[in-house]
Amino acid sequence: MSKKSRQFKVALKYCGSCNPRVDLRRIARHLAKVAEERGDFQLVPLSESDIDVVVILCGCPRACGNKEEVKARAKRSLVTAGESVNRRAVPEAELPIAVEQELDKILNG
Amino acid sequence: MTMMTGQQYRESLRRLKPEVYYQGEKIENLADHPAFLPHVNAAALTYDMALAPEFEELLTATSHLTGEKINRFTHIHHSHDDLVKKVKMLRALGQQTGSCFQRCVGFDGLNSVYSITYDIDQKMSTDYHKRLINVLKMIQSKDLMVSGAMTDVKGNRRLSPSQQADPDLYVHVVEKKKDGIVVRGAKAHITGGVNSHGHLVMPTSAMKAEDADYAVCFYVPVDAHGVVHIFGRQTNDTRKCECFMDQGNCEYGIVGGEALIVFDNVFVPWEHVFMCGEYEFAYELVERFATAHRQNYGGCKTGLADALIGATYALAQVQGTDRASHTRDKLVEMVHLTETLYCCSIACSCQGYALPAGSYMADPLLANVTKLNVTREVYEIARLAQDIAGGILATAPSEMDWKDERVGKYVDKYLKGIAEVPTETRLRLLRLIEGMTCGTALVESMHGAGSPQAQRIMIERQANFERKKRLAEKLAKIGEQPLLVC
Repeated sequence: MSKKSRQFKVALKYCGSCNPRVDLRRIARHLAKVAEERGDFQLVPLSESDIDVVVILCGCPRACGNKEEVKARAKRSLVTAGESVNRRAVPEAELPIAVEQELDKILNG
Repeated sequence: MTMMTGQQYRESLRRLKPEVYYQGEKIENLADHPAFLPHVNAAALTYDMALAPEFEELLTATSHLTGEKINRFTHIHHSHDDLVKKVKMLRALGQQTGSCFQRCVGFDGLNSVYSITYDIDQKMSTDYHKRLINVLKMIQSKDLMVSGAMTDVKGNRRLSPSQQADPDLYVHVVEKKKDGIVVRGAKAHITGGVNSHGHLVMPTSAMKAEDADYAVCFYVPVDAHGVVHIFGRQTNDTRKCECFMDQGNCEYGIVGGEALIVFDNVFVPWEHVFMCGEYEFAYELVERFATAHRQNYGGCKTGLADALIGATYALAQVQGTDRASHTRDKLVEMVHLTETLYCCSIACSCQGYALPAGSYMADPLLANVTKLNVTREVYEIARLAQDIAGGILATAPSEMDWKDERVGKYVDKYLKGIAEVPTETRLRLLRLIEGMTCGTALVESMHGAGSPQAQRIMIERQANFERKKRLAEKLAKIGEQPLLVC
């Protein structure tokens, strides 16, 4: 998708990070970098309207950020919870890439 | 589909013909045998309480498979609410029985095997999950009590299953047939093993490729051919046959009634096999089961502690020590410890999470902390009860002497506490406290659901020391100085 086409709106929502088992900021930084490089989506605040995807970043399997009211803010959602992406086990080191791939599936799949 | 009453459960046991041995004798009708009756009574209460409106909210659930109302002990958790209600149910039952009611082990086993079979199928293209669901539907529809049989006898603990001098020291597959498998070995300490309808057998530890024959999980009826039960001794167990008051808790006993279960070339049809050689999933199954079972201990043991605190408080009143400040301090400490344990179980439930199968499990770190605390604090609660009770706890004459024509009047006269309360009340309270704090009952708090070291190992695995180090380094101005450590 070229930069001239409509950019998808992607929002990030953290669980609250009370006692995270993985580095959620690393995932967020990676998504920001990918957004900049690819240009087919932009990161926006969750308060914006017409959000395409909300990426819910949770530090542990409890997934406190995975709430209906959060998911309702966007057309689609993607949940990381500790070392997992959409309930699929993913080692911490591979989390940023795995989230990027899942997001790509949603946006372009 | 109906839930059984306690009486129907007893009748269902009478129809079974398990091979059971106790003190050198083969037991023909355990449902009516005094050595087994307390354990049957306690398990029967898991049926009766499910039908009591006061406890319905905790002891029943809606089957996600059929939509029918079922006993919670046959349910698969599908929410945080389910996990919390499990703990509350265990406390409510513990309060009523003052002893182990046995049915949670199979409950935890079913939940663990439910989720792990799903995972195995996803990776190995097997159909274990479907088989488990079919067995689960049968268990739910018949309201069966299932024991969870995990702990192998283990032989030399330094050696893996396949390295043992005797290959049968871990349950293993000895033959694969067209219609099923043949297994041999033994499982130890199996709670409710003799008065269940069936056994859910699971591997006991992590396995390697050479241990594949030992990575086996299956369901077998309690009276299947070749399944032999050898019932364990308990502290003061002869009292079950010779007296009532001196048993302390004659209705429900002091522990769950544990047995050594031998599988002597037992045939298991394929439709009852849920793991057969998938060794790489053995550890995950053990961890999920251990988490589920350790979650329980701040539920059931706090229910027991409620009864013990009540007995101790009542005894202090009978002995005239209830107004002493140190007695009140100790009673408050017992409550504090009890509620601390309860907090642990509730917390690990609230912090639980969904698994790929859609079922829920408790938080492993907090569940292990719960059980490790139980290995300490239940002993401290018991110590305080014994402290308040006094030495008479260990020296009181027997029920037979109290009833004796010649000396009974002396026991009655000289063991009296305050004038308004009969000596019998004091003796009954003493015996209840004795049963709950001396011997087998305490060992169950130490080793049930795994020994303390097993909890420490799992706590270490979950501890995330590196993040804690980064937090300290930030504060101590070592290396990078991020504003926040996430």
